[in-house]
Amino acid sequence: MTRLTADIRSTFTADGAEPFTVDAAIEVESNETCVILGPSGSGKTLLLETIAGFHEHNGVVTANETDITGKPPEERGFGFVFQDYALFPHMTVRENVEYGTRYRESSRDAAELLDELGVAHLSERNPPTLSGGEKQRVALARALAICPSVMLLDEPLAALDVPTKQALRDDLADILDDVTAVYVTHNRTTARAVADRIVVMQEGRVVQRGTPEDVFERPASPMVARFTGSNVIDLSAAPSLRRILDDGIGSQARSDGSGRSPIDHDSDTDAAPQVAIRPEAITLGDADGDLSATVERVVREDATNRVTLAFDDVTVEAFATSPPVVGTEVTLSFPRDRLHPC
Amino acid sequence: MATETERRFEIDAVGRTPLVVAFVAVQALAFAAAYSVGQPTWYAYFIVGSTAVTAYALDGTSFTVATATAGSLLMIALGLPLFMFVARQTPALVIEKALDPDVHRVLYLGVYGPLLAAVLSLLFGVPLAHLLAKGFPGQPLVESLVDLPLVVPHSVAGIIILFGFGKSGAFPQFSVLGTMVGMVLAMAFVSAPYAVNASREAFEAIDDRLEYASRIHGANKWETFRRVTGPLAVRGMITGGVLAWARAVSEFGAVAVVAYSVEFFYPFAGEKVTAQHAPVFVYNTYLQGGLEESGAVAFLLLAVSAAIFLLVRYLTDDGTAGGMP
Repeated sequence: MTRLTADIRSTFTADGAEPFTVDAAIEVESNETCVILGPSGSGKTLLLETIAGFHEHNGVVTANETDITGKPPEERGFGFVFQDYALFPHMTVRENVEYGTRYRESSRDAAELLDELGVAHLSERNPPTLSGGEKQRVALARALAICPSVMLLDEPLAALDVPTKQALRDDLADILDDVTAVYVTHNRTTARAVADRIVVMQEGRVVQRGTPEDVFERPASPMVARFTGSNVIDLSAAPSLRRILDDGIGSQARSDGSGRSPIDHDSDTDAAPQVAIRPEAITLGDADGDLSATVERVVREDATNRVTLAFDDVTVEAFATSPPVVGTEVTLSFPRDRLHPC
Repeated sequence: MATETERRFEIDAVGRTPLVVAFVAVQALAFAAAYSVGQPTWYAYFIVGSTAVTAYALDGTSFTVATATAGSLLMIALGLPLFMFVARQTPALVIEKALDPDVHRVLYLGVYGPLLAAVLSLLFGVPLAHLLAKGFPGQPLVESLVDLPLVVPHSVAGIIILFGFGKSGAFPQFSVLGTMVGMVLAMAFVSAPYAVNASREAFEAIDDRLEYASRIHGANKWETFRRVTGPLAVRGMITGGVLAWARAVSEFGAVAVVAYSVEFFYPFAGEKVTAQHAPVFVYNTYLQGGLEESGAVAFLLLAVSAAIFLLVRYLTDDGTAGGMP
């Protein structure tokens, strides 16, 4: 039961690299999973490593309101799972998992943990002989074995193939239910699956924070919207959509019962020329649709089709269970309560 | 007519090890034949020709044949004198020297002194190597100082040691001129860069995240070194130690200046004896007894050094290398 806060304002310099400034603050409540989401080079790993105590900085890190800024990593009681596993190659799997237990008052049994994670049969193998998924399960067991007060995870699924990633993501979601965790990823699907709270970073700064619902449905900027997979529509290039929103005549637009769009609430569409909407919110082929669009591309995905549609001077993406024919006209409906100015 | 690919497949089918053994055997036979008819020059031509033919058979490209042929010219310069040296030994003289107690003392000192120098180089060189791998302000200055003995003429190195640690030096209470301490210091001066640089490369090859992983899971810096960094770099340290030892074995200039002959405890006699470092002894024998007599002592020194070098390589070669899994 640990509440973690970090307020980092520092410029970091690595050999041969440009100085990089991180100016970011996060708060993670007990047993909450905070996902730091951002593109490569946004400083999210640096922030995580600073929280772990790997880098000196000018900020403040607290655990349960106690300042731990000056504590070395070994005294923080945290666990860390690295993107590329960082298993000790000269030790067996069992020795890796038991590595930190001698330094902790409370710890978990290595054999039990390996069994829970489905890799008990590998306990006497050396890490270089394991697959990526197996290595990451061992790395997870090593971190859990020391009963960490906070789990720090740096893109633990990034190097894995899709089936392994999905299986481990499900396990992780269960494991992270009972521990305070900070999880760094650039993958929005993973972020949505494991997060209680999301912090979006760009160029070393936090550009949005909130629940997954906040970040995915109400992105604070076009960058956040695009990064989380929303369509960003420039209304100046989409006059037919703008007319519908201004007139408030879209049948789907009145789905919230208010008859007014979020843009109307702002009473200033000129100040919010861009709106974001998630692809899954756009409905295709509705007879009472808001406007007509041309199908430009259809990409088959697992159980659906990702459709690229063009109208006016913009393109948007939507999902359709039955794929429309490329080049044909379809009607689109934009639920007004899902449109968000950004 | 076989294509290049087919030819390479044929060679792969034979296997690399038998190919190497066959090549070495052919070379030995050719050298023996050329030497026995008193025409060792023929063997020099044979090295070049046989290397070019082998390169053509293995790869078939003009680039490989050209590089192999050029390389074989250097091999003549390095290998032929060695083969001639071994072939021209007089077995009776070698046996006589091998049974000579004076030579025993020289060989003992020739192994033992460099061993002390290598241990000293590692003892203080490994911590420095770790620091250099991590980086610190003013590092280029320290790096220059570490590499300095590689470019200083070794007789000059001896003079520098006498200035630094001799009678009017920094530690006048220690006597270095003509003592074991002086000899080990002179050897360490010229061999420490090998220990430091090899260890440093080993530390640099270890991913920082392994140390992070150790620290975050509870180990402090000492424990991290003991359990992770040290074991992963140990092969580099041993390589550095072996190189430092080998360099010290071959040291002549600095030792001749600082400790021409030294008194040391000789366990096989149970008392202190006086002897010279092996290269100095070989040089003296050459001046006093000529090429043949000094060659016999040099042959013994070469045999002992090669045996120890191969033994260390064998003992430390476990077929694995450190790094990220």
